Amino acid sequence: MLASAVTLLLAIAASAPQGLPERPAITVSAAVSLTDALTAAAQEFARAGGGTIRFNFGASNVLARQIVNGAPVDLFISADAAQMDSVAKAGLLQDRSRIDLLTNQLAVVVPNDRQRMFTTIRDLTGQAYRRIAIGDPAAVPAGVYAKQYLEREGLWTEIEPRLVPSTSVRAALSAVEAGAADAAIVYRTDARTATRATVAWVVPADRGPKIVYPAAIVRTTKEPAEAQRFLDFLQSAAGGRVFERFGFGIPR
Amino acid sequence: MIELDIQLTQGTFRLDVTATFNGKATAIFGPSGSGKTTTLDAIAGLRAPDRGVIRIDGRALFSSRERVNLPSHQRRVGYVPQDVALFPHMNVRLNLLYGRHPGTSPPLERVVSMLEIESLVDREVGALSGGERQRIALGRALMSGPSLLLLDEPLASVDVPLRRRILPYLQRVRDELHLPLVYVSHDREEVQRLADYVVVLEAGRVAAAGSPAALLGSNPGTLEP
Amino acid sequence: MDVWQITRFTVACAIAATVMVLPPGVAIAWVLARRRFTGRTLVETLVSLPLVLPPVATGLILLMVLSRRGAIGRILESLGIEVVFTWKAVVLAMAIMGLPLLVRTARAGFEQVNQRYEQVASTLGAPPSRVFFTISLPLAWPSIVAGAVLAFARGLGEFGATIIVAGSIPGATRTLAVAIYSYAETGQDREAAALLVVSATIAFLALWYANRLAGRRPA
Repeated sequence: MLASAVTLLLAIAASAPQGLPERPAITVSAAVSLTDALTAAAQEFARAGGGTIRFNFGASNVLARQIVNGAPVDLFISADAAQMDSVAKAGLLQDRSRIDLLTNQLAVVVPNDRQRMFTTIRDLTGQAYRRIAIGDPAAVPAGVYAKQYLEREGLWTEIEPRLVPSTSVRAALSAVEAGAADAAIVYRTDARTATRATVAWVVPADRGPKIVYPAAIVRTTKEPAEAQRFLDFLQSAAGGRVFERFGFGIPR
Repeated sequence: MIELDIQLTQGTFRLDVTATFNGKATAIFGPSGSGKTTTLDAIAGLRAPDRGVIRIDGRALFSSRERVNLPSHQRRVGYVPQDVALFPHMNVRLNLLYGRHPGTSPPLERVVSMLEIESLVDREVGALSGGERQRIALGRALMSGPSLLLLDEPLASVDVPLRRRILPYLQRVRDELHLPLVYVSHDREEVQRLADYVVVLEAGRVAAAGSPAALLGSNPGTLEP
Repeated sequence: MDVWQITRFTVACAIAATVMVLPPGVAIAWVLARRRFTGRTLVETLVSLPLVLPPVATGLILLMVLSRRGAIGRILESLGIEVVFTWKAVVLAMAIMGLPLLVRTARAGFEQVNQRYEQVASTLGAPPSRVFFTISLPLAWPSIVAGAVLAFARGLGEFGATIIVAGSIPGATRTLAVAIYSYAETGQDREAAALLVVSATIAFLALWYANRLAGRRPA
């Protein structure tokens, strides 16, 4: 017991605060699908004189739960409104800081060696597509959006028996790349990174669900000014260019 | 002088032993299951009776009325269990010296020469014969400087020809060190050879107590009440 | 991605977690092996919980207790100590997940030690602490080491609780397991595969060593 206590105490002592750095670091919890884009944006931010960003990438529902349970997060960028709403309901968003930061679109991908360009979404009901991977509509935002879209197009009941729900949209994409699925409904931004799958169909903005990535400052932040500075940067022209490079849309 | 007046229940077994003895070597005799080892364990402090008194030379080791229960490491009682139990991770010397107490222990040379184990002192415990292990366990108990020596079936795990060789060592301990022995046995001959007093147990109770000759007679096979 | 940094960080945390958990783990194992007391079943159950609860649940409990609003977190915050989202949370998560494995293995080791040895040592004048350090502990040692190695291996692979209470912060709290998940999630399969090989190798070596130790029975 004594040895553990001593070890812990030494460790704590060794990591005592060193004194104020120039620009304080902030912790940003963000959806995994934003990893590449946000990492690039943070580098631009630093080049433009901004401070260090500590990113905590994860599944939006896990991130929301962490914040609700008191994790020390300064800024939250979620993959869907529902997770942001749950944090709002817990009273943990800073007033009037919530904005819709990014948009995305759904796309249908197919394996490289069976490339096709759909003429309509109806092509997905074809014989060739017996197993269609999507994020689990019960849990994953991308899955929820996919279901919304198929329902709206009146294809849900026909396609549903062929659907293979995956734990994440990434897993759905991997399934197609590995040849385990004949097609997948993913984000357009995911399709960009695929090496063995190509886009067969991009859901038009006016037909597809409104996919929005809300961002907000967490009320219990210790660095509200710094968090706002970063959020402002993400919304600026410079930030927008980074996001568009990675395939995201900017809400007008 | 050893005073015993203990009651103990374990499951369906009831022990109720009252005996006072003052001999150089006292045997606790009886068939298996009669409570002999339990009695020994109680004296050693390895088992606490439910009720009663255990006194050695007036000193209370256990007294339920006075709420005394000396832990075994404070009782100054040497114990040689039936399965000998030499510490497997120590050599013979370390085993012998384990209980050594600078003030009260006899010199190692004396114990070693009395038990004739000089050549074994630096050996490992694993490669010893039964008789050798017995003597070392005896030596180990003696080296802790006890005021009483308890032995559980000291000759039982040794084959008959060897018994005749171990017995003299026990007699030597009894006579040269003036150390009272209390030992458990179910062997009549063992009792007659070593003990000057015997307590006979039957089903957890004292059936008889007295001199071995009187109680056990010279005929093997008869037990006189 | 710096494979070396992630590996070094993960191994260092797993070692720290194992060291932290050894004294209480061995003590609990010995008490459970040798003593009867009221509340014994409760202790057994509590110690086994991390083995049975989903790791995410364990992570959530840790988060609730240690965050700024939690019972313990409040006190820590007033002392200026941060645990959540730092390496300390990683070590803590690994330690809690490894504890039941250590206790089980060490307990079996103590139970295998013939009580007769401990009794004889006691009659030779050794107080309980000396009996423990000179008899029980040395004779149960191979099992204790095996248990420690198991706890270490478990810590290396720990993911579910870690990601909740320590987050996935590159350079600060990203362990091998969490990094593999992150890279897989962002389509960087090659990086994920490289980390997977490192992770599997270390785990294999650790478990192989533990099995060898467990096979060596005390005399």
